Amino acid sequence: MAAAAPLAAVPFAARYGLDTPAQAAGGEHPSHSAAAHAAMGHAAMIGEGAPAVGGPNDLDALLYPPAALPYKPGRVREYTLTAVDKEIEIAPGVFFPAWTYNGTVPGPVIRATEGDTLRVNFLNAGSHPHTIHFHGIHPTNMDGVFEIVPPGGRFTYEFEAKPYGMQLYHCHATPLKKHIHKGLYGALIIDPKEPRAPAQELVMVMNGYDTDGDGTNNFYTVNGRTFYYARYPIRVKRSELVRVYLTNLTEFDLINSFHLHADFFRYYPTGSSDQFEYTDTIMQCQGQRGILEIEFAEPGTFMFHAHQSEFTELGWMGFFEVVE
Amino acid sequence: MEAGAPSRSSFGWRLLPLAPILLLALVVGAFVSGGSSIVDLIGKNPPPPDLFDIQRVEFQPNEIRIRARNPQPEELTIASVTVDDAIVPFTLDGPATLKRLRSSTIVVAYDWVENEPIGVGVTSSTGIETVLAVPAAVETPSPSAGGFFGYAVIGFLVGVVPIALGLLWLPSLRRADPKWLAAFMALTGGLLSFLAVESLSEAFTLQAQLPGALGGSGLVLLGVALSALGMTFLSSRLARGRAGTAGLGLALLVAIGIGVHNLGEGLAIGTSFAFGELQLGTFLIVGFMIHNVTEGLGIAAPATEARRVSFLQLLALAVIAGAPAILGAWIGGYASNDVLGVLFFAAAAGAALQVVVEVGRFVARRAPGGLRSGWVIGGYLAGILAMYITGLFIG
Repeated sequence: MAAAAPLAAVPFAARYGLDTPAQAAGGEHPSHSAAAHAAMGHAAMIGEGAPAVGGPNDLDALLYPPAALPYKPGRVREYTLTAVDKEIEIAPGVFFPAWTYNGTVPGPVIRATEGDTLRVNFLNAGSHPHTIHFHGIHPTNMDGVFEIVPPGGRFTYEFEAKPYGMQLYHCHATPLKKHIHKGLYGALIIDPKEPRAPAQELVMVMNGYDTDGDGTNNFYTVNGRTFYYARYPIRVKRSELVRVYLTNLTEFDLINSFHLHADFFRYYPTGSSDQFEYTDTIMQCQGQRGILEIEFAEPGTFMFHAHQSEFTELGWMGFFEVVE
Repeated sequence: MEAGAPSRSSFGWRLLPLAPILLLALVVGAFVSGGSSIVDLIGKNPPPPDLFDIQRVEFQPNEIRIRARNPQPEELTIASVTVDDAIVPFTLDGPATLKRLRSSTIVVAYDWVENEPIGVGVTSSTGIETVLAVPAAVETPSPSAGGFFGYAVIGFLVGVVPIALGLLWLPSLRRADPKWLAAFMALTGGLLSFLAVESLSEAFTLQAQLPGALGGSGLVLLGVALSALGMTFLSSRLARGRAGTAGLGLALLVAIGIGVHNLGEGLAIGTSFAFGELQLGTFLIVGFMIHNVTEGLGIAAPATEARRVSFLQLLALAVIAGAPAILGAWIGGYASNDVLGVLFFAAAAGAALQVVVEVGRFVARRAPGGLRSGWVIGGYLAGILAMYITGLFIG
């Protein structure tokens, strides 16, 4: 439960070199007790104090993409996606009646190399008509717009994977807003024929959940669960190249963003060229995506979150734990 | 029972009234055991709203305490808590899953900002968020001797003092012309009518905020009926077989009627202050004092009939009419209970209405020209107007 004692965060915070309660209390607010400070702020939102669902490896399949394959002419990459209605726990004790691809929100990471034939067998086991609309270059009859798949129906999407970059897919049945925010989306990575440098690769899909149907999101996450990477920081090695495939599928809000603390990254919009921006904050509207590359210079606990403070405090926040 | 009724079965006859209850139990049992099969014939029940009833939000240094109640028949689970649209860790002093009308207190460590608006949200396991906007975060007074005394002083200032001052009009009223006296009695009726309407409206407002399970408008009627009937009983005891209550007896009735109203008024002041919704400034307290001086006048008018009124009796009248404000302020400040608030204001309406009837009868009997005299009509309207105008000092 979220009722877990916030004080449990203290040793964790101390371990990660955050302000200890005594330091935080400082001399500025003599009336505030040290204990009260320990229980507040981000110190209360890391490790066991962070209200996140599940165990440490639950989201591995969404965070770590399948390995990139070197280019080979004539190869077929085949995936099967099944749309299922599923109630998922998005924050401790909070259940969302989602529409999912393969039972998770976001759906599975699909990966192919440019030039591969991508074949996606789609089965609609949900209660509403759905499709899969891929971003990329493909014939319009493979676009998931007009070929509505009724409940119980099937459709096979088959096209050449191109262009290389970070792409995405989502349902394009109407009402579109409903079909997207219910959870029908995921990451599609198309690797260049010339392989990228080896790296610790990660996928992050930013999203939100409107749990009370008022047209505004109540929770924000990366990869589907609030504060998950605050509860279980992502472990990476110092000086090793880290590559994050990032996209935004947040409904209702105009934009979402990614901000890294204490270091800078190279941001390649859509991952479709060598052009990059050297920064620590980028923003994406819905459907926008890109690739982040970083070599952490120092070990430590690096926070990352949306730079919309509201999103941060409603679940979209996590940490990299950079180790030697 | 008729003379010819067979005596041998008298025991059986006495059990007969139980038959409908037993049969009802059988029918209810059959219906319940059938599950939702009957409802399914006509359609599907919509899901429960899953909204909490946030009863109280308290602010302590670095801490917010939220009392949340489940107002619906279905169970409701506290899953997530937000303050100003930010998820916060919390602890519970009770169960997370609340049965009907059960509540738990949510404790949140939070560095809130004094005097600024703040919103607290409680989200159910189904993701439905109940938000309560607090107009201004102010530290909630914890029970202390100082605070207890403070509420008492405020209750004394807005209740007892102005009424006692108003009663000092008694000697002047005694010397007044009977026509004027009739006008002042009618004025009493007017101001009590005003209080009755005001209390009734307040009772309905509070009742509308209650969760449905705690009773609808019927709760207001219950309060009105209880107090009106209680006052009727009291009035008949005071009249002691005479045609109607008069003199000190009638003054006492008026004082009680006003006292019940002031109980509600004290409760409202105490609750609003404790919730940071009301600024208990000088202006407001002065406003209440001016408003309530007219209530003292209302008690003095019938007392002119009595041959002799001792100072102690006057004091007692002032205390009866004014001191409930102190009690109300205590209840509101520390224990605020919304059902109690509805009942208090409903009781105030019932008592005031009953006293209006008493005063009306009295005026009809005694006033030169009866109820239709210009003095009486003018006095009655003046009473309403006086309450309205002095009431502007409070708004």
